[in-house]
Formats: sequence, structure tokens, C-alpha cells
Amino acid sequence: MAALSGFLWLISFWLIGEVVVYFTVLPVSSGVIGMLLLCITLALRGGVPESVACAAQPLIALLAMLIMPGVVGVFFIAGELVGQWTAILVGLVLGTLLSVVTTLWLMQRLMRGHHAE
Amino acid sequence: MLSEPLIERLTETPLFAVGLTLAAYLLGMALFRRLKQPPWLPGILMAALLLAGFLAISGIHYTAYQDGAAWLSVLLGPATVALGMPLYQQLPRIRELWRPLAICLPISASLAAFYAVGIAKLMGASDHVMASLAAKSVTAPIAIGITEQLGGSVALLMGALLITGVAAIAFVSLVARVMKIRDERLIGFALGLNGHALGTVRAFEIGPTAGAFASLGMSLTGIFTALLLPLAWRLLGG
Repeated sequence: MAALSGFLWLISFWLIGEVVVYFTVLPVSSGVIGMLLLCITLALRGGVPESVACAAQPLIALLAMLIMPGVVGVFFIAGELVGQWTAILVGLVLGTLLSVVTTLWLMQRLMRGHHAE
Repeated sequence: MLSEPLIERLTETPLFAVGLTLAAYLLGMALFRRLKQPPWLPGILMAALLLAGFLAISGIHYTAYQDGAAWLSVLLGPATVALGMPLYQQLPRIRELWRPLAICLPISASLAAFYAVGIAKLMGASDHVMASLAAKSVTAPIAIGITEQLGGSVALLMGALLITGVAAIAFVSLVARVMKIRDERLIGFALGLNGHALGTVRAFEIGPTAGAFASLGMSLTGIFTALLLPLAWRLLGG
């Protein structure tokens, strides 16, 4: 039953996110708002209640499965993107290589400074 | 090929689509373990291929499947909220390294989106395609929200996430070797920042420290991109 009340917590935070987005017209998804609010609430409370952990852990573990119905969709729109696949693939692969190099180089430099202090 | 009336009967309730998704997921993960977990072929990709193959062979329309599978996808909302828990648990680590993180994160997360969109634009991709690629380094539940805001295709985004995750895992180990980087915190952070959930899973295989920093990189990239990308997109008139 702990997981059930934890799940109600997660749904409530998501709904609060919806309300916040509705009134502020922020261009952010309600899930992100809910996530931030949950993090703040836990920090104020100073710990994770067992019920929230019971519901959050399995949900996070299942993230990959929850996005699967969407992943499958890419095979069915392949035809609509004829002529753009090279741009898509090069953009993704080369773009990822560049951003990996940037991140590692930047963090290496910054953390060296950090340790020197 | 299943007969039309049978398909209609089966897809009357969401249970068929939900069952199909669970079966493909478990089968894909079992195959992944059987093949000794190849980093270039994640279990989720195998599961998606199995599912797409089954739909194509049985003659079930993707839209009919998607209608039923929406019962699973709706859980992405609470699952995103759930990410607030690991984020809270990592707050002490964030504080410890807050300065390098605070400088590196906005630059790297912006560039992750900018490189891909810029290269795609140079190669003549349409606005719709660019809007679908922009969130490619962000963890799926957040990336879907961003892409909907930008007016991109969620299906293409999902494919982009998969390619990005696999590429990030390969490139981080390659570049770290070339640059002689062995610090798990650094490798983990780069994996999470660039390779979202797929990179984070890989980081936990390297070690718990790498995994913690990957979750940190993943959550921070997700939050930063979710807050700023739609605004930047609107300002740039994308």
C-alpha cells in the first residue's frame, strides 16, 4: 500500500505542475515542474518518505519501457523523411561527437582548477 | 497477417497493446543479456525492432497500437516527477562540485542541441526535422515535452534519442581514452549529459560514482534544456 500512496504523491505533483503551467504559460512540461517541486519538497522535508521511494524506484526503472511505444513510431514515419536521413544521421552522430569532446575538455579544465584551490 | 475482424476484436481494449509492449520489452531485454550486453545495440532498440516487426507482419496499424499503448505512455508524467527523488539524493554531490558544474552544464547542454541542429540545418534539414532533433540529448520524458513545445515529431525524436545515446556511449569511451581521462566523475557526467538515460545506464556499469554523476548530468541537462530551449527557440523564431 506504501507504493500506492507514493504513486498518489507523484500524480499530485504532476497535476500541480499542470496547474502551474496553465497559470504561468511557462514553456516547460508539467512533469519537469513536478520533478523540481518534488525535489524541493524532499529537501525541505530532509528525506525521502518510504512511500515515495516505493513508487518512484520502479517507475524510473521502467522509463525505457514507457518510451517504447514512441520509439516504435519512428519506423512508421521513415517514408515521410526521405531525403533528410543523411542530414539527421550526420547531425546526430557528428553533433554528439563534438559535444562529448566539448564536455570532457571543459570539465577536465574546470575540475583541475577546482582541485588546485 | 491476422484477419481484419480479429484485429478489431483484439484492439478493442488497450490490453492487447499493453501486453504486446510488455512482451517485446521483456524479450528485448532477455536477448540483450543473452548477447552479452553489446553497447551499440541497447535492449530497448531490440525490443522496438521486435515490436515494429510484429506490427508490420500482423498487419496491425501503428495508430491502433498507439491508441492502446497510450495507457502505458501516460505513466511518463509521474515517472518524470519521480526523477525528483534521485535529483534530491544527489544534492550534496552537486554542492561539492557546484562551480565546475555550473559553468560546464549550460555551455555543454546548449552546445549538445546547437551542434546537432546546426549541422542538420547546414545539410538542408527542414524546420520540422530540426525541431525534432533539438532535444536529442535530453532524457525521454522531458524531451517529449520539449519537442511538443517546439512543434517537432515525437516519433523522430525517439529515434534521435536512440542514435544519440548509442553514439554518446561509444564516443565518451573513445575520447576519454584519447584524452587520458580516468576520473569516473568526469566520464559519468559526460555520459549523462550527452547520452541521457542510455548513457546513465552505461555509467552505472562502469561504477557507482560514474552512475551517480551520470544521473546528475542527465537531470541537470533535462531541467536546463526544458527551461531554456523552448524560450531560445521562440526568440530565434525557429
